[in-house]
Amino acid sequence: MITFTVNGSSHAFDGDPNMPLLWYLRDEADLTGTKFGCGIAMCGACTVHIDGRPVRSCLTPVASVDGRSVETIETAENHPIGKLVQQAWVEGQVPQCGYCQSGQIMSAVALLKTKPSPTDDDIDAAMSGNICRCATYPRIRAAIHSAAEKLAYEA
Amino acid sequence: MKFRKLAGGAVAIVVIVAVAFVAYRLLKPEGPEPTPPIAGAAQDLPDDMSRGEYLTKAADCAACHTEKGGTPFAGGRPFQLPFGTIYATNLTPDEETGIGKWSDEAFVAAVREGVGSEGHLYPAMPYTSYTGMSRDDILAIKAYLESLPPVNQPTPENSLSFPFNQRWGMAFWNLAFFDETRFTPDSDQSDAWNRGAYLAGPLGHCGECHTPRNIGFAMQSHDYLAGTEVQGWKAYNTTSDSLYGIGSWSDDQLRGYLSRGHAPGRSSASGPMAEVVEYSLQHLTDGDIDALIAYLRSVEPEQGDRNVTVNVTPAAVEASNAVLPGDDAPVEDPHGRRLFEGDCAGCHQWNGIGRQTEYASLGGSSSVNDPTGTALIQVLLRGTSIEIDGVTQRMPGFGGVYSDTDIAAVANYVLAHFGDKEGTVTADEVAERRAGPAH
Repeated sequence: MITFTVNGSSHAFDGDPNMPLLWYLRDEADLTGTKFGCGIAMCGACTVHIDGRPVRSCLTPVASVDGRSVETIETAENHPIGKLVQQAWVEGQVPQCGYCQSGQIMSAVALLKTKPSPTDDDIDAAMSGNICRCATYPRIRAAIHSAAEKLAYEA
Repeated sequence: MKFRKLAGGAVAIVVIVAVAFVAYRLLKPEGPEPTPPIAGAAQDLPDDMSRGEYLTKAADCAACHTEKGGTPFAGGRPFQLPFGTIYATNLTPDEETGIGKWSDEAFVAAVREGVGSEGHLYPAMPYTSYTGMSRDDILAIKAYLESLPPVNQPTPENSLSFPFNQRWGMAFWNLAFFDETRFTPDSDQSDAWNRGAYLAGPLGHCGECHTPRNIGFAMQSHDYLAGTEVQGWKAYNTTSDSLYGIGSWSDDQLRGYLSRGHAPGRSSASGPMAEVVEYSLQHLTDGDIDALIAYLRSVEPEQGDRNVTVNVTPAAVEASNAVLPGDDAPVEDPHGRRLFEGDCAGCHQWNGIGRQTEYASLGGSSSVNDPTGTALIQVLLRGTSIEIDGVTQRMPGFGGVYSDTDIAAVANYVLAHFGDKEGTVTADEVAERRAGPAH
């Protein structure tokens, strides 16, 4: 039996331990905010946090989260940084089609947790693995800077 | 007159030396048949596996005798040599195209003496190592192969150029380079060590890839396991040398590498070695893996040629975390770093610890510490995969989307960041590798 928490609540799973975490989140836990993109960890759409670290859930076996804490886009607003990022996303009207955005936000939150006032280079380094087919990159960059400013102001 | 006498004398000496050499090689003892517990299957053999199947796996017959995507043991896999292509034969019990009609004697001769149904075998078939095996073990392998369903699949004709297409010529090669000796246990060593020696030599034939070859394409015995290049990949130094070999690897690292293709804090097996772990080593029992380690630890340290020193704590990696890179030394051309941040960091991460799987960790890996980038280029171009316990770990190849310049740039960036090495990979070299054999 694999036991772990998702967004703070306890979960247990005793199916195929090699099933991707993304399958569990979407099909078993009904948390469909996390999206399937490429299936080979090359696009970033399925990014979630495991113990606070951004991870591509499409290639992460569910067994590897045994005893760990998983956080998805559904709980982003419950954290101060996540809340600021989502506000900045709304204010900047970042998404176009929106499909990649939950992954973008999860990566942006991880970046700001690691470095509260990132440079453009930092944003490139941390966010380049998240692809946006609508090319909303300039708005993503602006929103991250805007969230960082608010974060500095609140601190 | 004097000259003719002198010349005659010289010829006579050459003839005498040659005859003496031939007589020495022919009369040299082959040694007794290796006996248990050294020969044979592991003592902790699982119930669901026959002795023959275990030995077939330990000798890794499947890796060569299976075509990519083909039926196991049905042969057809091409081996590109400098003088042409040869094909692995069909080992299924098909009477027409396989070993269905082979006698025990014929099979043992092929495996131990390198003499097959069409005459001498080429030493791409590692009879030079298999020759140490016991007759019982070879017949157990034959029995296992005979238990498989027959597959009627003719082996393609070899396409070797003259004189290499003359099989009888191999008799002379054997005379010069083939030491037909059975494995003899060393009574001064433990059973585990002897078992390890039998697994690494006669069965696993590690030396066939990891030992540099001489001008006659034979293993250089004084450089045993000192590392070399094979089919465009690197077979690293696996002697006990602490700088160039595996001397500073922990038992856990060696165990991880051999039994599942990943050594924590060191390398993941890729390319041909991934196949060795997938087809052969992962099936060995815990006892046999420990025996292999005991033996490898005792292999004479050798520095080898063009070998790799591994920096397990490069400054750039130490300064990085999972999300962001530390300050890399400034580079003139940021192209490699840009490619890495877009396509590689998603799995490997800036601190190289591997995001979704430990197999993606880069820190301490030999391939990112080899300034020539030999294996690195191959992995970047063609990707690599390994199936352990039914789960496939895969790195996609970027040969289809990256130019030669791209591959060279990202390879040199990776060497600088993860190995603290000045990479020497050029676009021309990548182009050459791209055109060369996959492995």
